Amino acid sequence: MEAFKHLIDTLSKPTILVSFTFIIFFFVFPPTDWFEKWHKKLKFDGLWSVKSFWIITALLVGFFVTGLSDPDFRSIMLKPDNVPIAGLIFLVFFFTWLSMHQAYNNDKLIDAGKPVDEQYDAPNDKVLVWPDLVYIELITIILFSAFMLVWSIGLPAPLEEPANPSESPNPAKAPWYFLGLQEMLVYFDPWMAGVVLPSLIIVGLMAIPYLDNNKEGSGYYSFKNRKLSIAIFMFGWLVLWNLLIVIGTVLRGPNWNFFGPFEFWDSHKIEALTNINLSEFVYVKWLSTGLPGNILIREIWGMILLLGYFMILPPLLAKTWLKNLFERLGVARYSLFIVLILAALTLPIKMYLRWMFNLKYIISIPEYFFNF
Amino acid sequence: MSEKKGLLKRLAEGQVWTSIFRGGGVPKSRRQRMMVVLNSVFLHLHPVRLPKHAVKLKFTWCMGGLSFFLFLILTISGILLMFYYRPTIEYAYTDIIDLAEQVPFGIMREIHRWGAHAMVITVWLHMFRVFMTGSYKPPREFNWAIGVILLLLTLLLSFTGYLLPWDQLAIWAITVGSNMARATPFIGSEGPGAALLAIGDINFVTMASDIRFALIGGRFLGEATLLRFYVLHCIGLPFIIMIFMAVHFWRIRKDGGISTPV
Amino acid sequence: MPEAKEKKSVTVPPASPPPAALGKIDEGSQVSRRSFFSWLSIGWIAFVAATGGFFTMMLRFFFPNVLFEPVQTFRAGYPEDYQAGEVDLRWKGKYGTWIVRDGEGIYALSTVCTHLGCTPNWLAAEQKFKCPCHGSGFRKTGINFEGPAPRPLERFRIVLADDGQIIVDKTKKFQQEKGQWGDPEAFLKV
Ligand code: HEM
Ligand code: FES
Repeated sequence: MEAFKHLIDTLSKPTILVSFTFIIFFFVFPPTDWFEKWHKKLKFDGLWSVKSFWIITALLVGFFVTGLSDPDFRSIMLKPDNVPIAGLIFLVFFFTWLSMHQAYNNDKLIDAGKPVDEQYDAPNDKVLVWPDLVYIELITIILFSAFMLVWSIGLPAPLEEPANPSESPNPAKAPWYFLGLQEMLVYFDPWMAGVVLPSLIIVGLMAIPYLDNNKEGSGYYSFKNRKLSIAIFMFGWLVLWNLLIVIGTVLRGPNWNFFGPFEFWDSHKIEALTNINLSEFVYVKWLSTGLPGNILIREIWGMILLLGYFMILPPLLAKTWLKNLFERLGVARYSLFIVLILAALTLPIKMYLRWMFNLKYIISIPEYFFNF
Repeated sequence: MSEKKGLLKRLAEGQVWTSIFRGGGVPKSRRQRMMVVLNSVFLHLHPVRLPKHAVKLKFTWCMGGLSFFLFLILTISGILLMFYYRPTIEYAYTDIIDLAEQVPFGIMREIHRWGAHAMVITVWLHMFRVFMTGSYKPPREFNWAIGVILLLLTLLLSFTGYLLPWDQLAIWAITVGSNMARATPFIGSEGPGAALLAIGDINFVTMASDIRFALIGGRFLGEATLLRFYVLHCIGLPFIIMIFMAVHFWRIRKDGGISTPV
Repeated sequence: MPEAKEKKSVTVPPASPPPAALGKIDEGSQVSRRSFFSWLSIGWIAFVAATGGFFTMMLRFFFPNVLFEPVQTFRAGYPEDYQAGEVDLRWKGKYGTWIVRDGEGIYALSTVCTHLGCTPNWLAAEQKFKCPCHGSGFRKTGINFEGPAPRPLERFRIVLADDGQIIVDKTKKFQQEKGQWGDPEAFLKV
């Protein structure tokens, strides 16, 4: 048992956990034909069968049940504000499975030249709202109300100590649905993590229907014909949003240090996190000249890097690796698409730079509150 | 005329009943069933007929409907909470405790709090299902955008809501949240660019004139902050989200109902 | 189809007014096309200005004129009350200030994390201030060295009153990255 806990603690080191997720992700949700070939070879398509549903659910339940015998894990999971997280983990898995299961079924039907499951013969296949829909709604409402009542009677709503401006709780966590955001705050300056990136998430979500000009797959579950868009959305939704939330809830402990799920929250755990800016890397470590006084000269390397990332990389990609995509989307769509994607990728990039090299800012001009 | 009618049937065919529910009686014929939906202001959110997959749980997961139902639960329980809660630093915390300990059926706060959590989850999963069925594709692009705004408003409602107990979670969330506003480029006093909006030594964007100041009603958190968030939470944001929901529902109908394969 | 068209053209009413009415229009009073457009644009400009003014008023409404703020200046006892090498926590709760005395003198550090405003904890064992919110760390001097905080903690104005007591004035702040810590009032020599 202890060995198992230790294994889990080791595996949930952020570098290992996140790298593992990144690598395996695109084989599970293959964006291209090449990945799909491997997806089939590695038998990942079996994930969406009924059998694997039961196996994975059993594993998840088993993990939670045995985990709850551990006092450290229990204290995280049973904190009232975290209870919905446990629910969310199961629900996200269940609905991911449900949609992919239906998608794969439909893909098979399409391959066989048959109509998809949702196909209907208008107007003969229509049903009346009264009674066919209203009774479903009624039953759902009754069951759901009962569920809410039981939940509310069984579990008191969380309330912390009265407000005390001189003592921040340690760790001070936002409610779970903002923990992805709170995690971003570690790697980016507030104006990026709190203002620019959330705005880009909103804009990016709203832009989806205008960027995805693939007509296929509207009104029914499917995967094959819209691999790329599903893979990208899943990456954002499952990894950059839901996984970050789970990391923020389960793995972040006192002083905002990383802890394994079964590790004791020791508020004296020391982690040397001396952060260094890119300019210090260049001038102090590599050139050994000391930081130049002129801000522009000091930060020029970071600026070049950033300009290259956002200005040179997109046309380069359009010519080479993303050629087909560029032709399909056209200039306007492609530009918006690539800027959004690159902006989203700055998050994992900065996470790795922080974990591997303790790099803090690529551009750091605290004099003007401009840090990136 | 000689036939004797039961009491229920006589009621159902009487003037009072038929004036409220036109058509009278239990809707049995196809025509009557269509009229029920058309004649009711609530039911006619729905079309009269639907494609058969649209009523299946495995297609919609009922997540949009549950989000709306949760919004109703939250509105009702929230109004009830307002009868006891006073938005001042002196009383807020103790009023919250009283809501559980002194008020009859002290679970209204639980319903409201857990309902809010549940609504975040259902809206979230609703978005996921809309994506997976490709229902954002033409002609539903705009409704997807409306939906994103609904998601944002749902999160803002949660954020403003959990400040109200004025406990540790509340003040540190608002401390962090409002300081993020302070870092907004140009309009926050510690945002990039704010220093450029100055003439000589006179800075225009300062702690007493930036966006955070307007948000929390002062330079420091205090009574003004709590009152502002209370008003936003109870009136401002619900009002806005209701408008967007109305547009959302209207557009579902106008875009041809639940999406179907072409 | 052609039949329908024919029918329509028959039922269209005559577009021109009756000749009697035509004669009555006074040529001079007619609004020319050009002046009509300039009137229209004045109208629109006035409309936009009025709406804009209204929204500006609404925006201004959110900036209160009278503020109720906690006291910003306090007396912190005598310099002898503080031991060299110690971080003093007694004013943390009430006034959000740490008073630190080193070999040369005394300075007053703000307890507001420069990241997003949480209150860090002084960890004596590790000789650092550690913020629980996102993990920023500051040295005893207030210099940031780990985590996301972009700049050092701020120092407050600290001077001696006539009676020899320390006065800490939080309305005046000194920021290291602006080179203000050298200011004589940022540091009390003892
Ligand atoms: C307060 C939040 C929301 C409420 C109450 C709500 C309600 C609903 C309801 C009742 C439906 C009918 C179908 C169903 O139940 O699935 C629906 C459909 C739809 N919703 Fe939402 N919704 C919300 C948020 C969102 C969000 C966040 C998105 C996407 C970003 C979205 C996009 C759509 C679209 C595109 C449809 C049409 C789906 C189709 O035709 O298949 N909605 N919504
Ligand atoms: S508020 Fe101190 S680290 Fe974020």
